[in-house]
Amino acid sequence: MAIDLKDVNFHYPEEPNQRVLHIPSWTLSAGEQVFIHGPSGGGKSTLLSVLSGLFLPSEGQVNVLGQRLDQMTSRRRDRFRARHIGYMFQQFNLIPYLNAFDNIRLASQFSQQKKTPELHEEIQKLLSVLNISANDWYRPARHLSIGQQQRVAIARALINKPELLIADEPTSSLDPLNKEAFMGVLLSIVAENDITLVFVSHDLSLSNYFNRIESLSDINRPEGSA
Amino acid sequence: MFGKLALQSLLDRKGSVVLSLMAMTVSIFVLLGVEHIRHQTKENFSNTVSGVDLIVGARTGSLNLLLYSVFRVGAPTNNISWETYKTIANTTKVKWAIPISLGDSHKGFRVLGTSSDYFEHYSYGSQHHLSFIKGKAFHQVFDVVLGSTVAKKLGYQLGDKLTLAHGITATSFSLHDDRPFTVVGILAPTGTPVDQTLHVSLQGIEAIHIDWQQGVKMPGSTITQAELEQAELQPKSVTAFMLGLESKMATFRVQRAINNYTKEPLLAILPGVALSELWQMMSILENTLLLVSALVFIAACLGVSAMLLSSIRERNREIQLLRVIGAPAYFLFFLIELEALLIALLSCVLATGLLAACLVFLQDYLVSHFGLHIGINFLTENNLYLMLAMICASAIVAIIPSFSGYHQARTVKH
Ligand SMILES: Nc1ncnc2c1ncn2[C@@H]1O[C@H](COP(=O)(O)OP(=O)(O)OP(=O)(O)O)[C@@H](O)[C@H]1O
Ligand SMILES: [Mg+2]
Repeated sequence: MAIDLKDVNFHYPEEPNQRVLHIPSWTLSAGEQVFIHGPSGGGKSTLLSVLSGLFLPSEGQVNVLGQRLDQMTSRRRDRFRARHIGYMFQQFNLIPYLNAFDNIRLASQFSQQKKTPELHEEIQKLLSVLNISANDWYRPARHLSIGQQQRVAIARALINKPELLIADEPTSSLDPLNKEAFMGVLLSIVAENDITLVFVSHDLSLSNYFNRIESLSDINRPEGSA
Repeated sequence: MFGKLALQSLLDRKGSVVLSLMAMTVSIFVLLGVEHIRHQTKENFSNTVSGVDLIVGARTGSLNLLLYSVFRVGAPTNNISWETYKTIANTTKVKWAIPISLGDSHKGFRVLGTSSDYFEHYSYGSQHHLSFIKGKAFHQVFDVVLGSTVAKKLGYQLGDKLTLAHGITATSFSLHDDRPFTVVGILAPTGTPVDQTLHVSLQGIEAIHIDWQQGVKMPGSTITQAELEQAELQPKSVTAFMLGLESKMATFRVQRAINNYTKEPLLAILPGVALSELWQMMSILENTLLLVSALVFIAACLGVSAMLLSSIRERNREIQLLRVIGAPAYFLFFLIELEALLIALLSCVLATGLLAACLVFLQDYLVSHFGLHIGINFLTENNLYLMLAMICASAIVAIIPSFSGYHQARTVKH
């Protein structure tokens, strides 16, 4: 089981009376790719932050890749996230003043895995697979197009060979053509490496890339009994 | 990689970073400069006279004696009789004695009557003896040797004639104008009051006063210059004298003996001790200067911190991204500290370069206009510690923005 949630409650510390998440039970098996859709403000991003261990649930069990995130110290959660989880945002996935190469290298620094001498080659390989031409590797990220940035973001998210990839509306700033290219390359890499994928979007047209499709409102019932 | 991250992030905010860097550089420059000049002047000051074991004058305060005998400041209270001087100078423990006679001036510069031993034994700094850039010591009654500042300011050359004034004010009207002196020597700059002094022989002093009584010129003097040079000009008194002893061990014994001299009330002082006492009195000014520069530095540190603090607000997304790729919250603390340290280090390097350049360019100017000998080598152990302390201080002040970065990283929003 890649993800196993039980009786997870979450509210933001500033608003203790407004429960954002209430998930009685939800599971995702390893290697599965799920598409979660829901309205804006429904709690999608909040759920992903809980799954990645950025937020601790107010109550409940969060089991990710066989580890109880809710029982870890924040330091272990940070390390766990660095080693096992790749994460992508809608935008601002790269440090704008670092080049693509260094952005990916930076991500590999926090995993504290043995520095493989092949890191350099690995980054190059990933970038080529993602169709980033070599003369864009050493340009500051802010000079890349949005589509290029999002593809570099895939490389950045995958450099530590995570078992779980979390994507928070990574396509919403892309035009249809780029979107298609992005989805194609993302899903082929994920399938090739047996990566579990949680993909969140309100864009239902993307659902045909997935075989498991869920509506957040089915998983999450914040107004239900506490 | 983390160093690169900090550096690139600073480069990305060039505008504000360069400004705080400049503020920091200027403040470090000021602090290092003040500290260096402070040390150098202190050193110069305590080296105003060296190799002299005792200074002897009529009984007065020891500071007063030091001030008029070495710094030519203030006025002696009483003179010492020539017999007393001779008696003490001939004591077995005394190696050499230099008599000093003060009381005349030339255009605001003091005139020192002394013997030619002065040029041989008087030393300053680490045993630097006086040297001549032009000419030689006085031999004739009406010869005068100029300190370097006197020669430079008044534009005198060898062979020029000048007259001395009675008294020590620049506007003194009672001139010894009937007895002109000839410049026979000009001393090399020393950075001590010697530069501002005209040196003549005791006989010269005696000669110009020969027909004066109670500070007033007797009218109708008939003695000619030629007659004077032949005459036996025996000084009747001296203002003070300096002693070099056969052995340093004897210093205190000789000092006690002089202070207990029965025929005349005398005071003997150790110049080193008196100089440091005098310096103590000036330390308030010195410390104030240091305090002000330290405050300037703190202000610059706060400026850097304010710049970093405001940058954290702008860098919210960046912090969030770092957290997502696995950076612990304390990483942000160290990242901001690292940025502050980079600024401090770079400022130190820039300030060091700036100060070195300034010293190289200003050295000659300071010597010729202020008689200040400031060495170029300011990277003393002391100043390196000072720089280290400044870097630490900037790291401490940077705790404020660093903690803010840490806090922001902990409460990351998406
Ligand atoms: N930092 C925060 N503090 C307090 N409340 C928050 C915070 N972030 C989000 N919320 C609230 O939590 C709820 C869920 O927000 P969330 O961002 O998870 O929604 P979402 O489904 O990702 O929306 P979108 O599709 O617009 O990204 C919203 O009601 C929002 O107001
Ligand atoms: Mg969202």
